[in-house]
Amino acid sequence: MRRIFVVSLFTFRELIRSKMLFVWLVSVIVLCGLAFLLSLLSYGDILNIFMDLGLVGMEVSGLMVLILSLAVTYNTEMDQKAIFLHLSKPVTRGEYLLGRIIGFFLIISLVVLGMGGVVVGLVILAGGGVVPILFYDCVIFLLLEMLVLTVLGLTYQMIATSMVGVVLYSFFTIFLGHCIGEIQWLLGKQLEPLVRYALQVVYYGLPNLGIFNLRDRIYDPTMVLGSSQWHEVLLYTFAYSFMVFLIGWVNLEKREFK
Amino acid sequence: MKTEQPDLPLAIRIRGLSKTYKTGFWFTPTVTQALKNLHLDVYENEAFGLMGLNGAGKTTVIKLILGLLKPTAGEMSVLGGNIFNRSIRSHIGYLPELPYFSKQHTGRELLEYFGELHGLRGKTLRHRVDEVLEMVRMAKTAGQRVSGYSKGMMQRIGIGQALIGKPKLLVCDEPMSGLDPVGYKEMRDIFLDLKKGGTTLFLNTHILDEVERICDRVGILHEGVLKDVAPMKKILEASVPVDYWLDLDKSEASKLSGLPFKASVAGNGGIQIAGLVLTETLALLTSRKAKVNSVRPLSSIVEAYFLKTIGAQNYLMESGRNEK
Repeated sequence: MRRIFVVSLFTFRELIRSKMLFVWLVSVIVLCGLAFLLSLLSYGDILNIFMDLGLVGMEVSGLMVLILSLAVTYNTEMDQKAIFLHLSKPVTRGEYLLGRIIGFFLIISLVVLGMGGVVVGLVILAGGGVVPILFYDCVIFLLLEMLVLTVLGLTYQMIATSMVGVVLYSFFTIFLGHCIGEIQWLLGKQLEPLVRYALQVVYYGLPNLGIFNLRDRIYDPTMVLGSSQWHEVLLYTFAYSFMVFLIGWVNLEKREFK
Repeated sequence: MKTEQPDLPLAIRIRGLSKTYKTGFWFTPTVTQALKNLHLDVYENEAFGLMGLNGAGKTTVIKLILGLLKPTAGEMSVLGGNIFNRSIRSHIGYLPELPYFSKQHTGRELLEYFGELHGLRGKTLRHRVDEVLEMVRMAKTAGQRVSGYSKGMMQRIGIGQALIGKPKLLVCDEPMSGLDPVGYKEMRDIFLDLKKGGTTLFLNTHILDEVERICDRVGILHEGVLKDVAPMKKILEASVPVDYWLDLDKSEASKLSGLPFKASVAGNGGIQIAGLVLTETLALLTSRKAKVNSVRPLSSIVEAYFLKTIGAQNYLMESGRNEK
C-alpha cells in the first residue's frame, strides 16, 4: 500500500512540474473571456451560460490534462525506458500501475476542481446568483468520468507501442464513449452483420460516458438525482475501472521491455 | 560453457536460457535468436564481467536476470530465488546503460523515491540518501533538477539509485558509457569499493580495461552464445597470443619475404605479427640482417583473449583496425 502511495506521489509531482496546471490557467482565462463576451451578447440567463461554459471547460481541461500527461509520460517511461528502473525495484507491476493511475487522477481532479471553484466564484461573486445543488453532482459525475478515462488511458499506455497510439486510442475512446447512446439507437436498426458486430464491440467494450453527463439537465426542474442513479453510476464507474485496471495489469505483467 | 566452483554460494544461476525475439507483422514475423542455451553461474561476492560485441546479447541477459524479459526456454534463479519475489528484488541494484529519469525531479528526490520503493523510511531514508550522494559525489548538486544534469551526472544518479537499497547484487549494463576520464575513474573506484564490501557485481561491458581492473571472472558472449568463462587471473597468466608491431625501415622490405607475418603494412614501415611467432620471426629477421627499430604489443592480453575467443582476428586484419 505504501509503495502505491509513493508511486502516486512521484507521478503527481512529475505532472505538476510538467506545467500541467497551465492547462487550468488557460482554461480559466478562456472561460472568463467567453463569459464576458457572452454576457454582452446574450439575452438569456447569464448565470446559466456561466454554468454551461464552466462545466464544458471543466471537462475539456480535464481531458486535455489527461491526454497531455499520457503523451508526456509515455515519452519518459516507455520511449526513454525510465520504466525499467521502476520495475526493477521491489514494487509489483500492479502496484506501479495503480500508483500511476492515482497520480494521474489526482492532477486531473485538481484541475477539474480548480475550474469548478472558478465557475462557482463567477456565478456567486460576478453574477450574484446561487449555484444549484445539481452543479455539485455534475462535478462529482465529471470526476467519475475522469476516473474511468484515466484508468483506460493508463491501460492504453501499458499496451500501446507508441505515443501516437496512446493519444489516438484515448481520443477515440472519449469520442465514441460520448456516442454510446447513438450507437445503441443504431443497433436497434436493420444493419449489415459486420457493421452490427463492429458497433457491438464499441458498445460493450468502450465506456458509456453518456451516463456521466448531467450538464444538459442542470436547470431541469424535474431532474431529481435519486440514490438508485447514484448507485448505478458509482457501480458502473468502479466495476468498469476495476475491469480495465485488471486488463492493464495483466498486460503489464506480460509485457516485455526490449 | 561454465566454470564449476561448487563450494561457493551462487548469486545467479542460469540453465539453458534462450531468448527469441519476434518482430514485424504477426503474419510475417522476423525471428531473431538473441540468446542460445546459456548456462552461467555467478558466485556471491565476485565481480563478473560479461563481454561481447554490440548485439551479442549482453543486454538481453541482464533484462532476463531482472525479469524485464521472459525467457523462451531455460530457467534461472537470482540470489537463490525467483526474481519476481519482492524480497529477492529488494537486494538487487540495476544500472541501465543510459539511465533516464523524469526530468522534473531533483537528484535527491529521485534517490528518496527509489529508497522508499526499497522500503526505507524517515531518518533511515534520509541518512541513506546522504550516504549515497556522498558516495557518487553528487551531494552538492542533489538539489538541482535532473533536467540540468550532464550525462555523467545522470550516470552518477543512476548508480546512486542502484545502490540506495544496499544491494547484494549489482547488475550494470555498460556502466562506463558516456563518462569522461575522471568520471570513469570514479565509477571504477566505486565498483572496487563495493567489491571490497562484498557486493556481487555483474557488469556488461565491451570496455576491456574496465573488465581487467574490476572483474574476477569474465564470460564472453558472441552472437547469443557464451563462448567461454574464465577467471581473470588465469587469462592474465595465460600465454594468449598478443599481436606485435615490428617497426622496420622501408629499405628492409626486401628481407621480409616468406616471413610468417599476418599483415604486410610495409608502406607504414613495419609489420604486424602474431605473438606466437614473435621469437621465430625476430630470429629470422636477425639472420637476414634486417634492422628492427622497435617491438611493441598491439593489444592487451584481455583484448587478445577476447578477440581470440570470438574469432575476430581475421576480421580485424581485414578491416585494418590494427594498422599502426
